[in-house]
Amino acid sequence: MKRKIELYGRLRDAGLGSSVVIDAPKPATARQALSLLKSAFGPKAALLAGCVLATDDEVLSSSDELPSGRLALLPPVCGG
Amino acid sequence: MRRLTFVTASRLDPAALCRAVASPRHGALASFVGTVRAVHAGRRVKAVSYDCFVPLAEKELARIAAAAEKRWPVRVAVAHRTGRLKVGEASVAIAAGSGHRAEAFEACRFVIEEIKRRVPVWKKEHYDKGDGRWLAGCALHRSRP
Repeated sequence: MKRKIELYGRLRDAGLGSSVVIDAPKPATARQALSLLKSAFGPKAALLAGCVLATDDEVLSSSDELPSGRLALLPPVCGG
Repeated sequence: MRRLTFVTASRLDPAALCRAVASPRHGALASFVGTVRAVHAGRRVKAVSYDCFVPLAEKELARIAAAAEKRWPVRVAVAHRTGRLKVGEASVAIAAGSGHRAEAFEACRFVIEEIKRRVPVWKKEHYDKGDGRWLAGCALHRSRP
Protein backbone atom coordinates (compact mmCIF):
# COMPACT_ATOMS: atom_id res chain seq x y z
CA MET A 1 0.00 0.00 0.00
CA LYS A 2 1.41 3.40 -1.00
CA ARG A 3 1.91 5.77 1.95
CA LYS A 4 3.01 9.37 1.66
CA ILE A 5 5.42 10.47 4.41
CA GLU A 6 5.96 14.19 4.98
CA LEU A 7 9.51 15.38 5.65
CA TYR A 8 10.55 18.14 8.07
CA GLY A 9 13.62 20.00 9.27
CA ARG A 10 16.97 18.69 8.00
CA LEU A 11 15.15 16.01 5.99
CA ARG A 12 13.99 18.73 3.60
CA ASP A 13 17.62 19.05 2.46
CA ALA A 14 17.88 15.39 1.44
CA GLY A 15 16.99 16.25 -2.13
CA LEU A 16 13.76 14.25 -1.92
CA GLY A 17 11.34 17.18 -1.76
CA SER A 18 8.80 17.72 0.99
CA SER A 19 7.58 14.10 1.07
CA VAL A 20 8.40 10.56 0.00
CA VAL A 21 6.13 7.67 -0.93
CA ILE A 22 6.81 4.17 0.38
CA ASP A 23 5.10 0.93 -0.55
CA ALA A 24 4.29 -0.55 2.86
CA PRO A 25 2.52 -3.81 3.64
CA LYS A 26 -0.85 -3.54 5.35
CA PRO A 27 -0.71 -3.72 8.27
CA ALA A 28 2.80 -2.33 8.78
CA THR A 29 4.57 -1.14 11.91
CA ALA A 30 6.47 2.11 12.24
CA ARG A 31 9.65 0.03 12.40
CA GLN A 32 8.89 -1.51 9.00
CA ALA A 33 8.10 1.91 7.56
CA LEU A 34 11.40 3.32 8.86
CA SER A 35 13.24 0.46 7.21
CA LEU A 36 11.55 1.25 3.90
CA LEU A 37 12.40 4.91 4.37
CA LYS A 38 16.06 3.98 4.84
CA SER A 39 16.00 2.45 1.40
CA ALA A 40 14.20 5.47 -0.05
CA PHE A 41 16.85 7.81 1.37
CA GLY A 42 19.68 5.69 -0.08
CA PRO A 43 23.04 7.45 0.43
CA LYS A 44 21.32 10.08 2.60
CA ALA A 45 20.04 7.44 5.07
CA ALA A 46 22.29 8.85 7.82
CA LEU A 47 19.81 11.74 8.03
CA LEU A 48 17.33 9.29 9.56
CA ALA A 49 19.30 8.99 12.83
CA GLY A 50 17.01 9.90 15.70
CA CYS A 51 13.95 10.28 13.45
CA VAL A 52 10.47 9.07 14.40
CA LEU A 53 7.17 8.73 12.60
CA ALA A 54 4.20 10.71 13.84
CA THR A 55 0.56 11.40 13.13
CA ASP A 56 -1.27 14.70 13.59
CA ASP A 57 -1.86 13.63 17.17
CA GLU A 58 1.14 11.70 18.48
CA VAL A 59 4.58 10.25 17.99
CA LEU A 60 4.54 6.55 17.06
CA SER A 61 6.69 3.97 18.81
CA SER A 62 8.49 1.48 16.58
CA SER A 63 5.98 -1.28 17.36
CA ASP A 64 2.90 0.84 16.62
CA GLU A 65 0.91 -0.07 13.55
CA LEU A 66 0.76 2.68 10.94
CA PRO A 67 -2.64 4.33 11.28
CA SER A 68 -4.53 5.73 8.33
CA GLY A 69 -4.24 9.45 7.69
CA ARG A 70 -1.38 11.90 7.64
CA LEU A 71 2.13 10.63 8.50
CA ALA A 72 5.27 12.68 9.10
CA LEU A 73 8.91 11.80 9.59
CA LEU A 74 10.35 13.99 12.35
CA PRO A 75 14.05 14.52 13.10
CA PRO A 76 15.24 15.56 16.59
CA VAL A 77 13.51 18.82 17.54
CA CYS A 78 14.96 22.18 18.59
CA GLY A 79 12.17 24.68 19.01
CA GLY A 80 12.14 27.80 21.13
CA MET B 1 -7.39 36.17 21.46
CA ARG B 2 -9.17 33.09 20.10
CA ARG B 3 -6.75 30.38 21.36
CA LEU B 4 -4.20 30.39 24.16
CA THR B 5 -1.81 27.91 22.51
CA PHE B 6 -0.93 28.15 18.83
CA VAL B 7 1.65 28.16 16.04
CA THR B 8 1.68 31.12 13.68
CA ALA B 9 3.53 32.54 10.69
CA SER B 10 2.69 36.04 11.90
CA ARG B 11 4.69 38.27 14.23
CA LEU B 12 4.20 37.30 17.89
CA ASP B 13 2.49 39.66 20.31
CA PRO B 14 3.69 38.84 23.84
CA ALA B 15 1.55 41.62 25.33
CA ALA B 16 -1.56 40.00 23.87
CA LEU B 17 -0.60 36.68 25.49
CA CYS B 18 -0.18 38.47 28.83
CA ARG B 19 -3.58 40.12 28.48
CA ALA B 20 -5.12 36.73 27.68
CA VAL B 21 -4.02 35.19 30.98
CA ALA B 22 -4.41 38.26 33.19
CA SER B 23 -7.05 38.20 35.92
CA PRO B 24 -8.03 40.43 38.85
CA ARG B 25 -7.46 37.33 41.00
CA HIS B 26 -3.79 37.24 39.97
CA GLY B 27 -0.97 39.03 41.71
CA ALA B 28 1.68 37.93 39.21
CA LEU B 29 2.11 37.90 35.47
CA ALA B 30 5.36 36.44 34.12
CA SER B 31 6.43 36.12 30.51
CA PHE B 32 9.25 34.59 28.53
CA VAL B 33 10.14 35.60 24.98
CA GLY B 34 12.72 33.69 22.95
CA THR B 35 14.41 35.77 20.24
CA VAL B 36 16.77 35.19 17.33
CA ARG B 37 20.36 35.88 18.37
CA ALA B 38 22.97 37.50 16.14
CA VAL B 39 25.83 35.14 17.01
CA HIS B 40 25.74 31.42 17.68
CA ALA B 41 28.68 29.06 18.14
CA GLY B 42 31.00 31.75 16.80
CA ARG B 43 29.00 32.32 13.58
CA ARG B 44 27.27 35.58 12.66
CA VAL B 45 23.60 34.79 12.16
CA LYS B 46 21.51 36.79 9.69
CA ALA B 47 18.22 34.97 10.20
CA VAL B 48 16.70 31.71 11.41
CA SER B 49 14.06 29.67 9.55
CA TYR B 50 11.59 27.78 11.73
CA ASP B 51 10.03 24.64 10.27
CA CYS B 52 7.14 22.96 12.08
CA PHE B 53 4.76 20.01 11.87
CA VAL B 54 1.89 22.25 12.85
CA PRO B 55 -0.96 19.88 13.80
CA LEU B 56 1.15 17.91 16.27
CA ALA B 57 2.99 21.01 17.49
CA GLU B 58 -0.27 22.74 18.42
CA LYS B 59 -1.47 19.66 20.26
CA GLU B 60 1.82 19.44 22.18
CA LEU B 61 1.67 23.15 23.10
CA ALA B 62 -1.84 22.60 24.46
CA ARG B 63 -0.70 19.51 26.40
CA ILE B 64 2.27 21.40 27.87
CA ALA B 65 0.09 24.33 28.93
CA ALA B 66 -2.40 21.91 30.49
CA ALA B 67 0.42 20.14 32.35
CA ALA B 68 1.66 23.47 33.74
CA GLU B 69 -1.86 24.43 34.82
CA LYS B 70 -2.24 21.06 36.54
CA ARG B 71 1.09 21.43 38.35
CA TRP B 72 0.71 25.05 39.47
CA PRO B 73 -2.28 27.37 40.03
CA VAL B 74 -1.54 29.30 36.81
CA ARG B 75 -3.16 30.27 33.53
CA VAL B 76 -0.79 29.79 30.59
CA ALA B 77 -0.69 31.09 27.00
CA VAL B 78 2.03 30.14 24.51
CA ALA B 79 2.71 30.83 20.83
CA HIS B 80 5.51 29.65 18.50
CA ARG B 81 6.56 31.23 15.20
CA THR B 82 7.24 29.59 11.88
CA GLY B 83 8.99 31.00 8.82
CA ARG B 84 12.16 33.05 8.38
CA LEU B 85 12.88 35.40 11.29
CA LYS B 86 15.43 38.20 11.44
CA VAL B 87 17.79 38.79 14.36
CA GLY B 88 15.85 40.14 17.34
CA GLU B 89 12.47 38.79 16.26
CA ALA B 90 10.49 36.72 18.77
CA SER B 91 10.37 33.00 17.99
CA VAL B 92 8.40 31.89 21.02
CA ALA B 93 6.34 33.72 23.63
CA ILE B 94 4.94 32.40 26.91
CA ALA B 95 2.76 34.12 29.49
CA ALA B 96 1.73 32.79 32.90
CA GLY B 97 -0.67 34.50 35.25
CA SER B 98 -1.00 33.36 38.85
CA GLY B 99 -1.70 34.40 42.38
CA HIS B 100 1.98 34.73 43.26
CA ARG B 101 5.28 35.20 41.40
CA ALA B 102 6.94 31.86 42.18
CA GLU B 103 4.50 29.69 40.25
CA ALA B 104 4.34 32.16 37.36
CA PHE B 105 8.14 32.05 36.92
CA GLU B 106 8.25 28.28 37.37
CA ALA B 107 5.48 27.71 34.84
CA CYS B 108 7.25 29.83 32.20
CA ARG B 109 10.48 27.88 32.73
CA PHE B 110 8.64 24.56 32.58
CA VAL B 111 6.86 25.48 29.35
CA ILE B 112 10.00 26.58 27.45
CA GLU B 113 11.95 23.52 28.58
CA GLU B 114 9.12 21.20 27.48
CA ILE B 115 8.87 22.99 24.13
CA LYS B 116 12.54 22.32 23.47
CA ARG B 117 12.09 18.68 24.40
CA ARG B 118 8.87 17.67 22.66
CA VAL B 119 7.36 20.17 20.22
CA PRO B 120 8.07 19.33 16.55
CA VAL B 121 9.88 22.52 15.53
CA TRP B 122 13.24 22.79 13.77
CA LYS B 123 15.48 25.76 13.12
CA LYS B 124 17.95 26.47 10.39
CA GLU B 125 20.43 29.26 10.95
CA HIS B 126 21.39 31.44 7.99
CA TYR B 127 24.88 32.93 8.27
CA ASP B 128 26.41 36.12 6.92
CA LYS B 129 28.58 34.11 4.48
CA GLY B 130 25.44 32.82 2.76
CA ASP B 131 25.53 29.27 4.11
CA GLY B 132 23.14 27.71 6.61
CA ARG B 133 22.79 24.84 9.04
CA TRP B 134 19.95 22.92 10.70
CA LEU B 135 20.61 22.84 14.44
CA ALA B 136 20.93 19.58 16.33
CA GLY B 137 18.08 18.73 18.64
CA CYS B 138 16.32 16.35 20.97
CA ALA B 139 14.93 13.05 19.62
CA LEU B 140 11.18 12.65 20.09
CA HIS B 141 9.58 9.73 21.91
CA ARG B 142 6.01 8.60 22.22
CA SER B 143 4.57 10.41 25.24
CA ARG B 144 1.56 8.19 25.98
CA PRO B 145 2.06 5.22 28.34
